[in-house]
Amino acid sequence: MAERVFITGMGMISAIGSNVVENLRSLRLQQSGLGYTRYVETIHKETLPVGEVKYSTEELAHMASVEQPGGFTRTTLLGLIAIREALESAGIANAAELPAALINASTVGGMCDTEKVYFDILDPQKEGTFLQYIDVLDCADCTQRMADATGIREYVTTISTACSSSANALMYGARLIQQGLVDRAVCGGTEALTRFTINGFNSLKNIDKQFCRPFDQHRNGLNLGEGAAYLILESESLAKRRGARVLAELSGWCNTNEAFHPTAPSPEGDGAYEAMKNALAMSGRTVNDVQYVNVHGTATLNNDVSEGKALERLFGTDVPRFSSTKPFTGHTLAAAAAIEAIYAVLSIGQQVVFPNLNFSEKMEELAIVPETQLIEEYPVQNVISNSFGFGGNNASLVFSKYEG
Amino acid sequence: MKAKVYIRGCAAISAQESFSGGFVPQPVTLAEHNMMRAKEPDYKGFIAPNNLRRMSRMLKMGLTAALQCLRNSGLQVPDAIITGTGKGSLQDTERFLHDIRQYAEAALNPTPFIQSTYNSVNGLIALQQQCTRYNNTFVHRGFSFEHAVLDGLLLLNEGNAVNVLAGGFDEITAEHFYIKSRIGYWKEQLTQPADLYTANTPGSIAGEGAVFFVLSTEPAAVRLEGLKMIYKPSQETLSQSLEAFLAQHQVTAADIDLLITGQSGDTNYDHFYHDLQSRYFPQTTSEPFKHLCGEYDTASAFALWMAVQRMEAEPSLKRVLIYNHFYGEQHAFFLLSR
Repeated sequence: MAERVFITGMGMISAIGSNVVENLRSLRLQQSGLGYTRYVETIHKETLPVGEVKYSTEELAHMASVEQPGGFTRTTLLGLIAIREALESAGIANAAELPAALINASTVGGMCDTEKVYFDILDPQKEGTFLQYIDVLDCADCTQRMADATGIREYVTTISTACSSSANALMYGARLIQQGLVDRAVCGGTEALTRFTINGFNSLKNIDKQFCRPFDQHRNGLNLGEGAAYLILESESLAKRRGARVLAELSGWCNTNEAFHPTAPSPEGDGAYEAMKNALAMSGRTVNDVQYVNVHGTATLNNDVSEGKALERLFGTDVPRFSSTKPFTGHTLAAAAAIEAIYAVLSIGQQVVFPNLNFSEKMEELAIVPETQLIEEYPVQNVISNSFGFGGNNASLVFSKYEG
Repeated sequence: MKAKVYIRGCAAISAQESFSGGFVPQPVTLAEHNMMRAKEPDYKGFIAPNNLRRMSRMLKMGLTAALQCLRNSGLQVPDAIITGTGKGSLQDTERFLHDIRQYAEAALNPTPFIQSTYNSVNGLIALQQQCTRYNNTFVHRGFSFEHAVLDGLLLLNEGNAVNVLAGGFDEITAEHFYIKSRIGYWKEQLTQPADLYTANTPGSIAGEGAVFFVLSTEPAAVRLEGLKMIYKPSQETLSQSLEAFLAQHQVTAADIDLLITGQSGDTNYDHFYHDLQSRYFPQTTSEPFKHLCGEYDTASAFALWMAVQRMEAEPSLKRVLIYNHFYGEQHAFFLLSR
């Protein structure tokens, strides 16, 4: 019998707060973090909204207690801040105390800093401290700096499956635990805003010039965001042995590929349907046991139709309350699934459903509408969290209330 | 892990004539730079002309190696597609960076951005073979291919797959070659691959390749017994890890018939190989491989391919151990048997 996998700690930073408590407060106050960038040099800085973390890279270095920030990218610093909070919240003073895994997720590594000096690097006439940033473009760079800062070393790796990256990091860590390779895995993702990704999504005509409106008839694309989030996963036996506080159980998961189109989901949501259905089956729960779905809900034309159809197929006429929290944080790509995993755990722990901001009109293709109000004292036992990405990479996770 | 895992088939695009399947090691001769380019196959017959035009080099190499591997394995649709890549499609990443500058962020073509995404090769393989099941991409320097394999082993052990397509791919570009030369990745003087291990200088020769395997619980000639990764070890930790790894698989160093090492000729890091070899394998036949494929994040995939070729050709080889590291940080052992 495979070990159950528990969440015993979590830490995060996003556009709506630099720790879990601040994030929860913003969610409850319905305060969005969307705005305009102060830190990315781009011609789009006054036209395309983003969910930016409200600190300069220098301030982040200070918050992360990095004394010599040379070579530490914004991606790394966001990650360090979040992982330290996660370890602390799990009551882990020394992460090197037992063999653990660090499974990180990243879509463009240290591009946020590399892109500023890239053409200097290419210029043989130029020398200087920017050369410290040559090797930080690799996605491995941020992960290894986090591993070195925390002392985690048994398994150290990075996953990149576009917008589902950190869902796959959580799954992989959980599977390493189930197979007995480690008893503890720290899993999540980190993402900094870059000119590269802003222009990438903009060239795909996927970015809304207004604040994003998931599951709305008038939605017109996503807003990018940045942040980092990590969850401490532990085997049931380790959690019990050390008397850890269990926040929730990661009870089910599924990774599928839609094999439909490089950048678009199938109109009927085949991949999303399969991912949710199989994750739920693995968790041993049925559709009636799900009280909340934290949808991927990017507010792109395609995603929301496809994901909405999948919800209707899976749940029939009784779709549970669902919302996209991306109008709070923006779409944080590799960090998105981990940020939303924490929101799912908070939903269970606080017995609350978070609202889908900026909604005004039901989509014509769907019979369902997202939850637009904050609902307190709601009996949330099981939450599905969805993350769907380019390349057809779909992932669903099921979080369940821990009953002693 | 309990499940017995075999290598059902493989395919390699490398600086060698590897794609046809026969393995006749032949170090190439370099004319100008310490950089080995892969011998690209004829992509017709693998990729439709329309798609071929749009796809960049890494995507073509990755997809074609994967498709050939499936053909060699007599398989249409695997139960999972898992890859490792240190750099993904470098050419696309570079092109999009240049486009942003050249066109001042206006009217950009999205294709290089889409193709620069690290999971784009996985998505293409899934799309072309209509494989809707598990799909994952690891992007961690010298642990990229290794975790793709480990993920495959986990799936097979969980009983969630019978055939897993796992591969590693990376490309080198002129621009990236220059970038890494600024921090000492490559030898400064032109060094021929045949002289890689005797030049006695820092740095290595850059390489590239795309190598895929079908890992299967259905018996085949070569068995993948296990895999062990060690992150930034000291020489002593490395030795302990090797001992523990061999003991876990109930073999001793003397049982190893062939040791394949990832020496790269880099005087900064080759001591790991020399020390391990002299301590545990003084009498064991050993062969390096990076004079054949060059140094790159997922070069260990080429080593695994080479091990399979050797074992298929020489029945006397019962156990083969591969030891590779990438610039002293990510170390890995692979153990093969029959």
